[in-house]
Amino acid sequence: MRLVEVIVLISTVLAVALLITVGFEHLVPSERVRPVAEFYLNATYNQYELRNYTAMSPEAVTAIVWDFRGLDTLFETSVFYLALIAGLALTRGLLLERAEKSGHGLSIIVRTVTRITAPMIVAVGASIGLHGHLTPGGGFQGGSVIAVLPMVVIVVFSASFLVIKGVTTTKLLVVRSLGLTGIGLTAIAVFLVGITLHMPAYVFQNMAKPDAQISMPYSVAGALISGTLWFFNIFEMFAVAAGFSIAFIALMLARTLESSRGE
Amino acid sequence: MEAVNTYLLSVTLASLLVNFAISLYAMFFKPHYVKKVIALTILGDTVNTFAIYIGYRRWVEQRPPRVPVLTDLRPEAIEEFKNLAVDPLPQALVLTAIVIGLAVILFLVFLGWILYSHYRTLDMREIKRLKG
Amino acid sequence: MGDKPMLPGETGVYLVMAIISLLSVVAVYMAVKTRDLVKAVIYSALQSGLYSILYFLLLAPDIGLVYIPVAVGLIPGVLLVLISKTERWEKE
Repeated sequence: MRLVEVIVLISTVLAVALLITVGFEHLVPSERVRPVAEFYLNATYNQYELRNYTAMSPEAVTAIVWDFRGLDTLFETSVFYLALIAGLALTRGLLLERAEKSGHGLSIIVRTVTRITAPMIVAVGASIGLHGHLTPGGGFQGGSVIAVLPMVVIVVFSASFLVIKGVTTTKLLVVRSLGLTGIGLTAIAVFLVGITLHMPAYVFQNMAKPDAQISMPYSVAGALISGTLWFFNIFEMFAVAAGFSIAFIALMLARTLESSRGE
Repeated sequence: MEAVNTYLLSVTLASLLVNFAISLYAMFFKPHYVKKVIALTILGDTVNTFAIYIGYRRWVEQRPPRVPVLTDLRPEAIEEFKNLAVDPLPQALVLTAIVIGLAVILFLVFLGWILYSHYRTLDMREIKRLKG
Repeated sequence: MGDKPMLPGETGVYLVMAIISLLSVVAVYMAVKTRDLVKAVIYSALQSGLYSILYFLLLAPDIGLVYIPVAVGLIPGVLLVLISKTERWEKE
């Protein structure tokens, strides 16, 4: 019975694929990309021809996320925090952070392995985030890798383990706010310098433009940091990791409505 | 061989379309809240994958396409990079969409938990019948 | 020298892509079909794993890096927490 269903499913897919091949070949990728993509690929690290349009980052995706379309990402970040705050608002009055030991968690082998792997998870996440302008990765990726850690720790030890260790939602909220403030300050950094020096400059400017000759330094002591991209990545990493950690701690510690009414 | 390649690429596209259809069906007609949330995650992933798929490029004259990350910073290398790399724009758009998707799913999980503590069930037919 | 390989590299890559997406169709169907919500979450995580392989084959390592922790780790995690706090079986 199950096998028949799977065979019907797969043959449906193959038939639809035949239809696409015959009738709609333009839906399948071709050997060329769109002209706008060619412009981005050409300009992402090009100090020879397009000096006034380049982002000075070898990583085209990070360059688009934080430079060419940086304003999009700023508003997407705000959408992301609105959704997170909407979720946290539902637990209002239900959250109780008590530093008391409840349960013993999983076996000692699992706990020891978790103690060893926990710093590794943070190290991998930080590496992905800090090298976001050079290799695949960036603030969002590094932040979500680090956000796996509180989930693992809560499952392996106990729900209040993080609170006992001093990781409360208030502290994480401070980290998250610092990250968001950092993103805002980086966005207007070049603009503020322009005001001070009485020179034209834009909000969200990274490298020098034809009518605004100020630019962030793209390398510090020989190390390429791609101007604002490095700062955006590190602040976004902190903000994403702390924001998701708050949500997991809230989810694990929140009580049911009845027990909160009973007290 | 060209037709076989096109057909194999079409199989990927058709699978995405069928996944889209199945998850849309599950979102509308499955009665349980958690099942609806799972269908929503599958729907979002499928749409994201479709965007990435559109940005892919075929092999150019037997040479494989490249990741949109520049590894060699000389001007000739940039020209070759432009002719071989895949489209980075859909990847940049999908990147933030996945993180926002996780935030939305967290909101829905909180909502489902509040629903359960009000109604003692997550079956949508029951909730409709109970009406608060 | 001059030996033609059985399968050109291009076709091989597309073939692997096609097989992985066919498997993901089966995983999605099972996730929708089963009445046990824990199994549904596990099938959905299987689909996410297959999609992340697909992202690497479509040359999007950035998306793979953000998709693996989010869709294979965190979303099944929070859904399992929700199921453990509520109910496990979907009624007929």
